[in-house]
Amino acid sequence: MLAVEFSNVCKKFGNFSANENISFGIKKNSVHCVLGENGAGKSTLMKILFGMHIPDSGSIKIFDEEVKFSSPHDAIAKKIGMVHQHFMLIDDFTVAENVILGNELTKGIEIDFKSVNKTLGELIKKYNLNIDPHRKISRLSISEQQKVEILKLLYRESEILIFDEPTAVLSPVEVAEFFNVIEEFRANGKTIILITHKLNEVKQISDKVSILRRGKLVHEEENVNNSMDIRTLSSAITGNATLSETMEKAGVQENNVIVEMTDIKLKRENVKILNGLNLTLMSGEIYGLCGVEGNGQNEIIDIIAGFENNYEGGYKNESENISLVPDDRIRKGMISEYTIGENIFLKNGKTNFISQSTLENISKEIIKNYDVRVSDTNSNLGSLSGGNQQKVIIARELEPGNELLIFSHPTRGVDINATLFIHSKIIEERNKGKSILLISSDLDELAGLSDRLGVLYNGKIVKTIDSQELKNGFLKAGDITSNDALNVPLYEQIGKLMIGITN
Amino acid sequence: MEIITAILSLSFLAQMLRLMTPFYLGASAANFSERGGVINISIEGFMNLSAFSFALFSIITHNVTAGFFISILINIIFSILFAFFTVKLKINQIVTGVGFNLLIAGITKFLLVLIFNSSSNTERFEGLPDFTLLQSIPFVGSIFSDYITIFCFALIFISGFILFRTKFGLRLRSAGENPGAAESLGIKVRLYKLYGIMISGFLSALAGIWLASNQNSYSDGMIAGRGYIALAAMIIGKWKPVNIFFACLLFSAFEALEITLQISGTDLPSQLIQMLPYLITVLVLIGFIGKTKPPAADGIPY
Amino acid sequence: MSRKAKINLISISLSLAATLIIITLLLLLINKNPIEIFSIIFSEVFASGYGIGQTLFKATPLIICGCGLAICFHASLFNIGAEGQLNAGSFVIAIIALQIQDLPFPLILLICIVCGFVISGVFGLIPAYIKVKKDVSEVITTIMLNFIILALINYFLVDFFAVKSTMRTQELNDNNMLFKLSEFIPFFKGSSLNASFILAIIISVISYVFIYKTKFGYRIRAIGFNETASKYIGLKTNKIILISFFTGAGITSLVGINFIFGYKGFYEAGFSNNIGFTAIAVALLAKNNPLGIIFSALLFAILDYGGLSINQLVPKEIMLVVQGIIILSILSIDKLVTQYFERRGAV
Repeated sequence: MLAVEFSNVCKKFGNFSANENISFGIKKNSVHCVLGENGAGKSTLMKILFGMHIPDSGSIKIFDEEVKFSSPHDAIAKKIGMVHQHFMLIDDFTVAENVILGNELTKGIEIDFKSVNKTLGELIKKYNLNIDPHRKISRLSISEQQKVEILKLLYRESEILIFDEPTAVLSPVEVAEFFNVIEEFRANGKTIILITHKLNEVKQISDKVSILRRGKLVHEEENVNNSMDIRTLSSAITGNATLSETMEKAGVQENNVIVEMTDIKLKRENVKILNGLNLTLMSGEIYGLCGVEGNGQNEIIDIIAGFENNYEGGYKNESENISLVPDDRIRKGMISEYTIGENIFLKNGKTNFISQSTLENISKEIIKNYDVRVSDTNSNLGSLSGGNQQKVIIARELEPGNELLIFSHPTRGVDINATLFIHSKIIEERNKGKSILLISSDLDELAGLSDRLGVLYNGKIVKTIDSQELKNGFLKAGDITSNDALNVPLYEQIGKLMIGITN
Repeated sequence: MEIITAILSLSFLAQMLRLMTPFYLGASAANFSERGGVINISIEGFMNLSAFSFALFSIITHNVTAGFFISILINIIFSILFAFFTVKLKINQIVTGVGFNLLIAGITKFLLVLIFNSSSNTERFEGLPDFTLLQSIPFVGSIFSDYITIFCFALIFISGFILFRTKFGLRLRSAGENPGAAESLGIKVRLYKLYGIMISGFLSALAGIWLASNQNSYSDGMIAGRGYIALAAMIIGKWKPVNIFFACLLFSAFEALEITLQISGTDLPSQLIQMLPYLITVLVLIGFIGKTKPPAADGIPY
Repeated sequence: MSRKAKINLISISLSLAATLIIITLLLLLINKNPIEIFSIIFSEVFASGYGIGQTLFKATPLIICGCGLAICFHASLFNIGAEGQLNAGSFVIAIIALQIQDLPFPLILLICIVCGFVISGVFGLIPAYIKVKKDVSEVITTIMLNFIILALINYFLVDFFAVKSTMRTQELNDNNMLFKLSEFIPFFKGSSLNASFILAIIISVISYVFIYKTKFGYRIRAIGFNETASKYIGLKTNKIILISFFTGAGITSLVGINFIFGYKGFYEAGFSNNIGFTAIAVALLAKNNPLGIIFSALLFAILDYGGLSINQLVPKEIMLVVQGIIILSILSIDKLVTQYFERRGAV
């Protein structure tokens, strides 16, 4: 029996066709993966299934019954649950409060906390979730928070569980733990839908795969005995034969120390974030900082960028000005209401007075040099696509020619072409002799670009890997056409270090 | 020296506790709104509105009870209008609040001249009846001598219960902390914001009514910034009902001090005495150590 | 015309129309004849040089104060303390002017402008500093300072500076006053319209250029749009906030120039008559554009002066109601019009 059946589902946002005539079925009690690159339409389709978007046309059947959802409430009522890519959790609430919100057990107008705790306790035990219902979300790790999201689904007796990029923020060991939980669900008769772009994981866990590209369904395949061929999948996703980047790095010339951090300790709100951090950034080098989010990356940036002065330890910074491409474009990277030219002028403007025509010329320069796809030179930066926004931000940061450049998750939410462009720009700057700090959670990106790689865990660099080791240790790790990508020892070791396992 | 003995007397303490009423009601009004994520700086205006309408309708209908209920109704209507601006239209909450304060100030001044032929005050009227049951008990009797004050003290505990132990409170707080998360669980976030604002309108109505009833009239400028001081009390009280109570006590203490000083006669200039509550507010806000942590999505239109 | 300009034109026109309709209904409700009321206002304001002059005279402080507030508002600094700030500066201007009356007049003016600007600016710096260091909203602190400043001024007046049995300072000598425009333009004969009006226009133009055509102005507005991003982009947000608040508050002090040097020759408690609050409405209606503020100030001046002329028929306080309705209608209609256009075309 099919748990979910999409028939000709269409959804447009303005002129952009997110889903075009999507038709496929998801078998009950299976693990079904929906694959595709950023912007392919996977999230939109699943949000439609969860009632967060209403399709323009087409129909959806749940367990052979046609449904029309107008809100997540309806989807939840039909036993569908979704764990979003960005967790929908309330930091200040406890685990229990987050789980029961919207479906509270009550005694009169009062919440029946006793029954709540009992119910949650049973579920936690049954599925080996290992979390304390009384703790506040703000004190949980990312993978614990994910378990809270899962608990939300179990509490509502969801039978169809949707996960949007569930392993994006997990280290390899946590991924394995997550898959164990998925197996428990499968054993209990549930239907699992995973949205992902990580092919090696798909090969491990899925029963069937549906691939979306540019809003359309382009490929479907069953995974019999885990024998799926990643190469076929990858070409279906990108439409190209290969995805490997070959980036020419000039030979490493004379290196000067630009930043030196010695035994840095930093507390925020009485929590120790940096615990004796040692870090050196050199000129003409890309230093990759790898780690699970929340282990001190933002604090390191804050110290180097000069926003944070309440640290202990030795800190030397030889560079005069710093260029920073932050992780959250919209919140930290740009003024959405300003045009391209205005955003550039804001930071790099040499004159005190400015005219409209000068601003327009600046916009035109950037559009030309950075291949920014936009129809109107005077449109607000907020109306451009993620990749184009990021290009403008990078243009702004590279223009002053500063010695020290920080890139924080520079290709997050950016399409393939813009990603390649950005990577080439980063290498170009490195070849010019700049000192570059690259922070990313994408090990492929880090491996492909870094001269040196530091693994950050719990506010300390627990291991530094130099370019020789990177060359030797990574067997074409940036090339996802390799079926052995997950088994490379260095890769595995990094994964363990990222969550504190040293051996 | 008589001042010191006056302050350390029980009657001063009792006065302090009584005078706390409009501050606490105002601060609670602001709190319920902010817990839902809506900054409401028009508490001052709402107190002004209810004080005036209570006086107006009590005088016109010669019936204090009618004045009471009509005044509350008018405030709730205005609060729904406020919600329309801030929740439905998602207009900046601070600018809206300032706009409402100015409009209400204009309306009260206009009607004051139009109906009462005076630009300073209405005629006198009989306030709300007293609560006489406890009158014979010293100290306690002088505090709990009117219904609104009694309700105010009960509110300290009721607020906490509602906010932290009921379904409604959980959902209201979720709207103020992370509306996106709440929405994904099927909570009608905008509806809860509306509820928070309506409670705000109701509680600030009680505050204004209390002030007008106590004074037995309405006069221009009688709210005298208490609505803003109430906001400060809410911040200092970290949006928690019991802490807000203590913050309000601080401010009512200075109001009581002001009255005591004026009665006992002192060399201190009267203007400087009148300045005290506002100065204290600023000083406490400055000296307030530790970052203020409002509901996470406070002030963000959703 | 650009889409933004189109939206602004439509929303301002619609709000004024909506306000007109609401007020007409209100007048009918209280049994007054709207047509009679409007025609009296019209004839008093426009029909004579005196009327126009008085209107411009009343617009002068609103333009000045509005421009000061516009600078703050562009940085998303909600300065509700203009009333206190302008009084602080004006009071100091009057006191100092009395002390230096023997100096050449231009020098007197210069010294007073600088001192007044600094004093008002400092009272703007206080809430800005509290905001920057303690993250406490400037809304409350500026309002509290209003009460504090006015109380302090009252104290100093009563105990030190006021002329006996009044609440005003001593009068300046006649030769230390700004010229009335009627001396050059007889059309305005009898009106108090004075050189300060020219000062107000100059301030408006300078503010406009400052906000929209300079790098600093772009940075102020960037902070207003997104303070977090501004910080990460590398702007010294704290410094910019302090400077903006200081400047905006400082400008409000120049209201004193109009009243003291252009009109009465002394400072009087209550002279400002809530201009600090009306200016908020003036700035909002003009979308914080200093050139637009000239026009919205004119509108409010017409209402103010017109209010006086109809006071026999209907309390002049009705103009306060009109102001409130204008604010709320510009806020709501602007939002609705913007949303309408966003739905129709791509942003």
